[in-house]
Amino acid sequence: MVLVLLCLIIAAINRNFLTFGNFVRVSQDTAIPLVLGLGETFIILMGSIDLSVEGVLTLAAVILSMTVLNGMNDNDFGVFAVLLVLAVGALVGFANGLVHVRLRVPSFMATLGSWFIGVGIANALLGGMAIRINDPWIRGLAIQRVFGFPWGVWLALACLGIAYVIQSHTRLGRYIYALGGGEELAALSGISAPSVRIAAFTLAGVFYAVGGVLAAAQLGLGNAQIGAGRLFTTVTAVVVGGTALSGGEGGVLQTFVGVLIVSVLSNGMVLMGVPPSVQIGLQGLMIIGAVALSIDRKRMRIVK
Amino acid sequence: MNESADAAISMIGIEKRFPGVHALKGVSIEIRRREVVGLIGENGAGKSTLMKILSGVYQPDSGQIFIAGQRTRIDNAADANRKGIGMVFQEQSLLTNLTVGENIYLGAEAQFTKFGLVRWRELYAAAARQLEKVKVDVDPRTPADELSFVARQMVELAKALTLEEHAEGHLVILLDEPTSVLERGEIDILFARVRALKSRASFVFVSHRLDEVLQLADRLYVMKDGEVVAELTSAEADVAKLHRLMVGRTLHADYYYEPLQKPFQDRVVLEASGLAFDKAYRDVSFTLHAGEILGVAGVIGSGREELTRTLAGFAPQTAGTLRVGDREVSLKTPADAVDHGIGYIPRERRVEGLVLFLPVSANITLADLASLTHYGLIDASEERRLAKEWVSRLQVRTPTIQTLCLNLSGGNQQKVVLAKWLNAKARILILDHPTRGLDVGAKQEVYELIRALTGEGLAIILTSDTLEETIGMSHTLLVMRDGVITHRAAASRGAKPQQIDLIGYMV
Amino acid sequence: MEQTAKSFRPDNLRTWLPLATLVALVALVGVAQPGFLEPGTLIDLASDTAVLFVLATGVTFVIMLGGIDLSIQSMASLASVIVALTVPRLGYGSFLLAIAVGAFAGLISAVIHVRLKIPSFIATLAMGGVLFSAALMISKERSITLNESGRAYQSWITGEWFGLPNVIVVGLVVLAAAHVLQAHTRFGRYSAAIGAGEPAAYASGVKVSRQKIYAFVLSAAFAALAGVILAGRLASGSPTLAAELLLPSIAAVVVGGTAITGGVGSIWRTLVGALIISVVRIGMTFLGVNIFAQNIVFGAVLTAAVAITIDRTKIPIVK
Repeated sequence: MVLVLLCLIIAAINRNFLTFGNFVRVSQDTAIPLVLGLGETFIILMGSIDLSVEGVLTLAAVILSMTVLNGMNDNDFGVFAVLLVLAVGALVGFANGLVHVRLRVPSFMATLGSWFIGVGIANALLGGMAIRINDPWIRGLAIQRVFGFPWGVWLALACLGIAYVIQSHTRLGRYIYALGGGEELAALSGISAPSVRIAAFTLAGVFYAVGGVLAAAQLGLGNAQIGAGRLFTTVTAVVVGGTALSGGEGGVLQTFVGVLIVSVLSNGMVLMGVPPSVQIGLQGLMIIGAVALSIDRKRMRIVK
Repeated sequence: MNESADAAISMIGIEKRFPGVHALKGVSIEIRRREVVGLIGENGAGKSTLMKILSGVYQPDSGQIFIAGQRTRIDNAADANRKGIGMVFQEQSLLTNLTVGENIYLGAEAQFTKFGLVRWRELYAAAARQLEKVKVDVDPRTPADELSFVARQMVELAKALTLEEHAEGHLVILLDEPTSVLERGEIDILFARVRALKSRASFVFVSHRLDEVLQLADRLYVMKDGEVVAELTSAEADVAKLHRLMVGRTLHADYYYEPLQKPFQDRVVLEASGLAFDKAYRDVSFTLHAGEILGVAGVIGSGREELTRTLAGFAPQTAGTLRVGDREVSLKTPADAVDHGIGYIPRERRVEGLVLFLPVSANITLADLASLTHYGLIDASEERRLAKEWVSRLQVRTPTIQTLCLNLSGGNQQKVVLAKWLNAKARILILDHPTRGLDVGAKQEVYELIRALTGEGLAIILTSDTLEETIGMSHTLLVMRDGVITHRAAASRGAKPQQIDLIGYMV
Repeated sequence: MEQTAKSFRPDNLRTWLPLATLVALVALVGVAQPGFLEPGTLIDLASDTAVLFVLATGVTFVIMLGGIDLSIQSMASLASVIVALTVPRLGYGSFLLAIAVGAFAGLISAVIHVRLKIPSFIATLAMGGVLFSAALMISKERSITLNESGRAYQSWITGEWFGLPNVIVVGLVVLAAAHVLQAHTRFGRYSAAIGAGEPAAYASGVKVSRQKIYAFVLSAAFAALAGVILAGRLASGSPTLAAELLLPSIAAVVVGGTAITGGVGSIWRTLVGALIISVVRIGMTFLGVNIFAQNIVFGAVLTAAVAITIDRTKIPIVK
């Protein structure tokens, strides 16, 4: 598999790759993209796309930073803040789904709108400021370690587990695949495409919000720029992992591999001294390569 | 009729209209318990519309439906399922990215779900039981795309049968042309299963293969032009009788403007040698002359649809050669075909024939804008003049040439498509079901135009909905079955073969 | 037997609503702040709109075909960097270089989309990343200001022509050229056909792939031009110079009435849309709305505009 090959190549070039410390670093880099990727995977499996990742993440991080123990106000809601933020994520996702389904706006348009609305609200709340987070539990996600890995990483893995269960063991998961595989046929079997769509977007929103919590924990603060560029890496990871853009194929485990590939590649490039500016470009090329290889060309003669 | 103790389903006085077409004119049928009812008729007779109403896809304009004696409405597919009506479709309707078991219980997983989680072991066990009912030996965990067509058909049957566990009344399963992709041996298997299952369900068997219908059905309805013209038991019927009932009239020579059929010229405009395409067709050779209408007859799976697409440039042949005029050509895209003077009048006129949201004038000039372009700019006044000229020549009824094609009736839309190709100076036209969806008047206009054009030397390859139309319009006939040409016949004026003569080569 | 088209109503709505909205907005802001309606302010407004308009015009070509270009902001930024770096050495040539790079980038996007059959939003999203990366690399991740001699070359952007800022003139030239392209050439006609009914266009012998390539090249070239103009106005180039302009550009096209599904639209509509966006933006500033909060409004307006103008009959399955 590509991932194994990649690891071997990088290890050959720089021994430091194989140290435990490095693994931890890679895992930390992977946590947030993984969680984001889980949400996006469900959407892409349906044959749609969700561009609102950055918006929800930013909004979540900002609201979190304002409601837990922080440097700006006297709030200290602790766990409830996290629940609030997850609810916000769900709400935005729900709105995405609603607009997409009821107003029949293509998913990329509906979620493009939420992307900017989310970032916009965050900006409106904070301007260019950042709020420092003082809550020990939140900070602990990034700092405290269990078996060498931060809590945040374990949380991300837990999300992976949950996502896997949803994907393979619930009706929602099956229906998402069904919509991706053939929506008209699915409808004939009595599956309500609108309900499934709305549910999927809502679910994705929750995952993005979790990503926001992790991001805020990692940086120790919340600001309006915290989401910048993350959509790109999310989509890269899902696509590189093997989930087809046309829907119906792939899954969260594939996305996990995809995220690892992207992270390992990044890590490798850093170890080899490649500047971050180049990495973005390389990721772009990776998306293209991955999609080109995986796409079922016969089915998609009309490509828009 | 709704008192009959044996009736599982009664449909009484069903009416359905679509724009330009009166699809069902007061149709009444009855499906009794434990029987197989055959439904036959030509394309356009109304069979599939009736079935779509029964399966909840369409709503009737008027009429009544009774299930087990109760008056009812079937709102949608899921509702039909709840009321005990299952469907096995003509085109494969299994989701290929799911497994067999998942497909069988698609939409009905609730019974296996506890605390939100699907218990797969139970589902697959149940799926295995369903598969056993149809005696097909397939592991329910197999992905659907790995199955052969007949196995898939069986899985669909199994899926339809799952309804019996939950349906309120007697189960009725609609089989819509289930054998078109099956081979002989596989068809026997399917029929054996259906007969074995009669004790648990009634079946409606829709097919154009009359011998098969006679083999399987207990009772049949013959439909023609939106009405039921006969109800017989299969014992009373034979193919010839059914045929007469289906067709109902001897070929009216005038309907297809036969007197206007002029003999074609000697000049060869197209020559095909040994054309083949994957598994769809092979060894296809024929010549087309100026002024000739070559009709290709065949049922689904005969290869004629794929042949048509190849000739129009959509799917280049994998073997064999094609000559247009006196040059060998390679048609890799429709643009190539257009360059060689070949125009395509497609089956899906609203999708492939016209750009509905562009005006009539833009559609007419679409295939040949080069002639209108000077120094890179389109000459708008020249375009208007051309459009008006064609509209008048073909008598297209449209408020203005700026009207969007969306707003024209089917017949006039078809004329615009024709105008487009004539404007592009096409010398060969591929007509793919050219009168589909048109009312009688519109059809006649199309026939008249075709006669006039061929009189002037245009050559046509015709694939049509009905055998009658194909015979009536053509000079020469090719009959295809299972990918090869099984028969060639001349269809000259006054000496047209009968459908009965050709059907044997088609099925 | 003619059928009346219900779609006539959304069509008329789509045609007149944007213009009516523009007039209403101008009136609204003018009432709240009379200073808004002074010629000086309005000319400033038009100048500010120029960059947005050029960007939006480019992407209009792609949208009319039924695609989307998410790389325009990165392209514009890259163009600004190229100009800032090469103006000292190449003078006027730097502008041509930037546009040439733009055209080339568009060609690559197009080939990826057409040959590899990758949906346009992915191809351009990825391309945008590559362009951003390139901009970061050649600018060494910083903003580059132009010195006096450099700025002299940009007088065609910063200067005035009979009292009218040059940018407006450039904008008008772009308007004229783009309009001719869209409404009077074969390319424009084919684009509309492809956007409104690609299968029919394909079956009618239109070389669809070729037209798509033209559209993406145009989009990127116009984006590069926008970047050049922006570099002129801000006297600097940076990899993030145009980053904020993606959403407003697309909003301008859609709000103006071009359907996101393609086929229906024109450059005039984009002009109206761009003006609306500008008026809303400047109006909001006049009224004291937080500049960051403006994005919220744009997001909402965009979604609403798409919902109104989209041609639902064409999409049985909305993905």
